Amino acid sequence: MKFDANAFIAEQIEAIRRAVPTKAIIACSGGVDSTTAAVLASRALGDRLLAVYIDTGLMRRGETEDVAQTLKELNVRHRIVQAADEFFGALKGILDPEKKRTVIGRAFIELFEREAQSFGADHLVQGTIAPDWIESGGQLRDRIKTHHNVGGLPETMKLKLVEPLRDLYKDEVRAVARALGVRVSERQPFPGPGLAVRVVGEVTPDRVALVRGASAVVEEEFQAAAGRGLMPLPWQYFAVLLPVQTVGVHGDLRVYGHTIAVRAVDSIDGMTAVYSKIPHEVLDRISIRITNEVAGINRVVYDVSNKPPSTIEWE
Amino acid sequence: MRVYVVDNGGQWTHREWRVLKYLGAETKIVANDTRVSELDGLDGLVLSGGAPRVGVDPGKMGRNGEYLDAFEAPILGICAGHQFMAKHLGGDAAPAKVPEFGKSVVEIHQPDVLFEGLPNRFEVWESHNDEVTQLPKDFVALASSENCDIQAMRHRDRPLFGLQFHPEVEHTQFGADIFRNFLRLCETSK
Repeated sequence: MKFDANAFIAEQIEAIRRAVPTKAIIACSGGVDSTTAAVLASRALGDRLLAVYIDTGLMRRGETEDVAQTLKELNVRHRIVQAADEFFGALKGILDPEKKRTVIGRAFIELFEREAQSFGADHLVQGTIAPDWIESGGQLRDRIKTHHNVGGLPETMKLKLVEPLRDLYKDEVRAVARALGVRVSERQPFPGPGLAVRVVGEVTPDRVALVRGASAVVEEEFQAAAGRGLMPLPWQYFAVLLPVQTVGVHGDLRVYGHTIAVRAVDSIDGMTAVYSKIPHEVLDRISIRITNEVAGINRVVYDVSNKPPSTIEWE
Repeated sequence: MRVYVVDNGGQWTHREWRVLKYLGAETKIVANDTRVSELDGLDGLVLSGGAPRVGVDPGKMGRNGEYLDAFEAPILGICAGHQFMAKHLGGDAAPAKVPEFGKSVVEIHQPDVLFEGLPNRFEVWESHNDEVTQLPKDFVALASSENCDIQAMRHRDRPLFGLQFHPEVEHTQFGADIFRNFLRLCETSK
């Protein structure tokens, strides 16, 4: 009895209609989970749903424009909120990864409450999936990391939560997305806190710009290599900015620059993962491009850890 | 067939539920303080893994002991569930000399219905600080890994099974086959 996406879609549209007699907003990051949840909720509620995308300033290159386009194509009523200053303000001086995640979760929820109020909604739909609440812990279960859509929620939240994908893993969400005709169904996972958890150490606009530039190179090169048949596209592939400076030499001059870790893993559901075995010629191109194109980076390393013992993201 | 998963707080409890569901079992995750009477009539039970140390801390294992004492249908203990099974039935579990996290290889020494159709060596995923250090009376060890002597055990007569590794995760080879064998056992023990 494998997963039946069409049966799931019919069930959940019905369940969302029952759960939301009024109006709802959906928190939409443009990723597979929240876009899928947005389409489900939009089919259930029509104009009684508003999708809210928040540009946190922690997104990848071109992401906000792309998400706006996707939501438009899917005919989902939506609103784009610019909030980079609020997020960078809240993250100032914070080094601890758990604290980052909680601060971001809280900033999200405040903005969602504001948007819900002006739309007249009393429900919040989220694309929470199984690993989000499992890893966030609670009662017996240990907290591995606070997922922003679970751990950032205040205890006395006014909005009622609706989470149609709660029992699914990524592979099942993708099946639902394909059945719904969602273009981003195969998009790689991207964490809710965005590039903030890919900058180890303090999150500043400058440091986010470094990891954004490196990430763009990693994504382009992996996609190009997979397109040329050099390797299968990993489940997830990205850059992490490390809080480590090392010595380099540029045009006979000593430099003291930043380090990027490249991470690529193969997984089905995100609950276990193995690091991807990447051809050296691909790593070589990534290294050369990052150290030449992203000013300030003079060293690139490749992460060869599995989950467990590591997690996929560094924070 | 109804086989429930007792939640001891593991990261992969929900994966056990998913594998059972995919194999066609009627399944549900239940809290580990669920009364035995509420599990009446089930065809099998999986005792999940748990948060650090719970396998050796009976205070956190709820009614797992009552299930092991009262339940007649097959029980599969995984990680903390396996460690607790050993401890509760008179064996012992303690911090492992070498904890295992991630990829490892198990070797089957004793053929068993649980491993039917599987090769003698295969890749498994681990995530444990504790391990079974002494088998309970009437139990036999079935498999080991380089750093852990008791990767699998079973009772000689009763349908009680323990696994230190995690058959429920995607990266363990033949994991679904182990669950399929367990379900077949639940079917034949009816």
